[in-house]
Amino acid sequence: MSDPRKLSAALLLAVAALLAAAAAQAAAQASIDAVELPSSSSPLVSLRLQFDAGSIYDPPGKEGLAALTGLMLAEAGTQKRSYSDLVEALYPMAAAIDLNIDREVTLISGTVHRDQLDSYTELLEEALLRPGFAESDFKRNREQLLAELTDTLRAGSDELLGLEALQDRIFAGHPYGHPSEGTVESLQRLTLDDVKAFYKERFTQGSLMLGIAGGYPQGYLDRLKHDLAALPAGQKGRKPLPPLPKVSGRNFTLIEKQTASVGIQFGFPLPINRGDPDYFPLMVANSYLGEHRSFYGRLMNELRGERGLNYGDYSYIEYWFNPPGTDYPTPNVPRRQQYFSVWIRPVVPGDAQFALRAALYEIQRLRDKGMTQEDFDLVRAFLLNYTKLWAQSLEDRLGFRMDSRFYGMPYYIDEIDARLRKLKLEDVNAAIRKYLSTDNYEAVFVTANAQQLKETLQKDDPSPKSYNSQVEAEVLEADKAIQSLKVRPTRIDVIPVGEVFQK
Amino acid sequence: MSLRFSLALLSLLFVAFAANTAGAATPQPAPGDVFPFTTYETTLDNGLRVVTIPYDSPGIVAYDLVVRTGARDEVEAGHSGFAHFFEHMMFRGTERYSQDAYTALMKRMGANSNASTWDDKTIYRLIGPSRELATMMDVESDRFQNLKYDDEGFRTESRAVLGEYNKSASSPFLPMQEKLRDLAFDKHTYKHSTIGFLADIKAMPGYYQYSLDFFKRFYRPENVTLLVVGDVKRETVEALAKQYYGGWKKGYEPASIPAEPEQTAQRKAHLDWPAPVHPLAMLAWHTPAHSATSVDSAALDLIAEVVFGETSPLYRELVVEKQWVDLLAGDADPHRDPYLFTVTVRAKSDDLLPKAQQAIDEAIATLQRQPVNAARLERIKSHQRYAFALGLSSAPTIAGQAAQAIALDGEVKSVNQRFAAYQKVTPADVQRVARAIFRPQNETSVTLSHAGTKAQGATGGASHE
Repeated sequence: MSDPRKLSAALLLAVAALLAAAAAQAAAQASIDAVELPSSSSPLVSLRLQFDAGSIYDPPGKEGLAALTGLMLAEAGTQKRSYSDLVEALYPMAAAIDLNIDREVTLISGTVHRDQLDSYTELLEEALLRPGFAESDFKRNREQLLAELTDTLRAGSDELLGLEALQDRIFAGHPYGHPSEGTVESLQRLTLDDVKAFYKERFTQGSLMLGIAGGYPQGYLDRLKHDLAALPAGQKGRKPLPPLPKVSGRNFTLIEKQTASVGIQFGFPLPINRGDPDYFPLMVANSYLGEHRSFYGRLMNELRGERGLNYGDYSYIEYWFNPPGTDYPTPNVPRRQQYFSVWIRPVVPGDAQFALRAALYEIQRLRDKGMTQEDFDLVRAFLLNYTKLWAQSLEDRLGFRMDSRFYGMPYYIDEIDARLRKLKLEDVNAAIRKYLSTDNYEAVFVTANAQQLKETLQKDDPSPKSYNSQVEAEVLEADKAIQSLKVRPTRIDVIPVGEVFQK
Repeated sequence: MSLRFSLALLSLLFVAFAANTAGAATPQPAPGDVFPFTTYETTLDNGLRVVTIPYDSPGIVAYDLVVRTGARDEVEAGHSGFAHFFEHMMFRGTERYSQDAYTALMKRMGANSNASTWDDKTIYRLIGPSRELATMMDVESDRFQNLKYDDEGFRTESRAVLGEYNKSASSPFLPMQEKLRDLAFDKHTYKHSTIGFLADIKAMPGYYQYSLDFFKRFYRPENVTLLVVGDVKRETVEALAKQYYGGWKKGYEPASIPAEPEQTAQRKAHLDWPAPVHPLAMLAWHTPAHSATSVDSAALDLIAEVVFGETSPLYRELVVEKQWVDLLAGDADPHRDPYLFTVTVRAKSDDLLPKAQQAIDEAIATLQRQPVNAARLERIKSHQRYAFALGLSSAPTIAGQAAQAIALDGEVKSVNQRFAAYQKVTPADVQRVARAIFRPQNETSVTLSHAGTKAQGATGGASHE
């Protein structure tokens, strides 16, 4: 008991432990991953705190926990002020603590005038480091998530509903396979203790990528890192994902809803993301097929331009955040696993089958014929310039830099330039043959009279299209092939809208 | 007098002389200006104004043509919506660049080309690579001088406008806005919305000749400003502008827009909506024409925040605490001619709409009775200032603000004038303006609810005293 050797050994151990703790603290401080984009001429400063705390980390049965935790940080009170007081304090600087929760990451961000940087930082740190976790905020935020599922998705927008439901189908049983908002039933199971535990586990220095851009003063980033070292050290590294899901056959989910038109989306998993060399030839092919919200793609020109089927038709080779509201891709929604998809904006019910066939026809045509040298030269020239428009503001440039860190690649916008310049037509046509097909996909239709549509799809009979105005002979010729294109559905499910995102 | 001194004096005189010929004030922003960008302005001999704002957007430029014509200029009966329709026609091509050639050129440049029409302005905007500035000058100056389309193309495009109307008409806000303006205005062209009355849109295919005249009257250099924001040099922009737009012929014929007589009695209407919908009300009061330097215009902008903003007592009561309404917004919507201050409110059920309207009336009456707290007014001014500054984050957003100032007041410096006017507004000004504007005889309101559950307080059908 009084053996001096033992004592000294114990003392040594204690000292060693203290030293190790100090070293760990120092290492933790150094370990906050930061992406910087200073611009001394800018009067604005953008802060982006991206945590590996997206909905893939929701425990089974507790879907929506990441989202609710995010809301309890960004849209709730702190230990010293209520949420109303926090909003009031942010008001004179016209600033906000913005939140976006996706599958992989939770983004807490804000842009502020540099005059107000210190006051804003104080509020942001207060919200993130000293959250209030009040019961009343918990209830309000849970209601908000619920309303997002029931009012916004189910009742408010057929298109958003379809876009979310398609991911649900493609990634069924996969951590990507439920909305980040959770489900109607899982939200009911969440407790404030769940939120506190998730906060402690996921909002750590190890899971943080800190981004800062604009006219911030020297020394600011070090100060911020120092303050954020109050977060638990945590571990680096993302949760491993299961293998990419396999979609077999042509599977249809018809969401039954009282609506005047029919919204259509379909797609399938893609084994590549931005970090893969094949992504860039496929990007050229996709732009040719369906560049988002522009008349530069074939889907748009053929379905809307020539045939007046609807307002727009586009295709994607990665997840696109907030598609109705954005012209260009949004940064800070990185995903290790991606999917190909086609978005056909609402058509009149009588045209639904024809519109699907017309889109499938375009993909098959691209696969069979490939792009011509002339197409390739034009699309590449277009993308070389157009992609520069994706990063016009400092905050967007910062976001794409953070994405590039996520994917482990050089700055995305520069990489597009470098890769596209080296690309050849053969590379693009090879990527088309390798990745695009109409054999296996999930499709979601948001429609009234779903049973009737189901029978129509099952019969797979020709769907002739008639026009009110004069249509070019070439179009009528192509229509002959389109209208009798065999879809051969493998499975068709009808789901009432009230059951979507329920469990 | 030393030689050095006289040289210095000479150079000073030269600078002053150069500034005079450019016809512009100091382009540098003053300390504290909310629009912090050096802005160069010059006017070509034909009257076209050229504004250049260099901005740190590497390789990118926003290229705007701001036409000071919009729905306000649609003075001829039966031609509402024509300015917007004509904006579509501007994409139909010229001898040199057909519609397809134009689209192909935009695609090659990787540019984003779009246009929008408002009451007082039509804006054509390209966003693209700054190294293609000369191409933009070439293709844009060409369509503004040499637009060419035939009767068939004209008819086809008129159907697209009808489609656009139908798409928007599925939202209750369009018919409400339409009814509100129709009811509030008797003479002035603000009586109709930008997209126009449905009957007029249906008649559009027959107005080919009118469209040619429309182009000749309004698409003239004296009525247009070329605005270039981004990675450019002033000298390059001005030299290219002279080369490509210098030959554009003058000939602008301003429309003669009738003045609106003063409203003397309250006006109300109710619309039945076929689908289930939360009940809505739009309440509007006539306001004077916008002026960037006017304290009264500034006070109206601030009232929108004081009474209806997210930190207002009314908003907290109706939206946050009682949760009677899920939408509450006040908007002073600046216009060149006297327009409207509009409040939009959406209640969660039919019985709550009249209650919400009553709460709005009381909030306005409170402001008329007692001046707003001075500290709160300062916080609102700060919010407005920073909200504006935070929006200036890219070449197109800066161009958007500059274009709005050009359209309303004719010059970019009015942005800073407007914020200077905000600083002058006192609680007494707010109270005075509130008393002058929010009078029942100056008010027009439109309510909308699902058929069969008509909101109380409406007269049923349009009444127009």
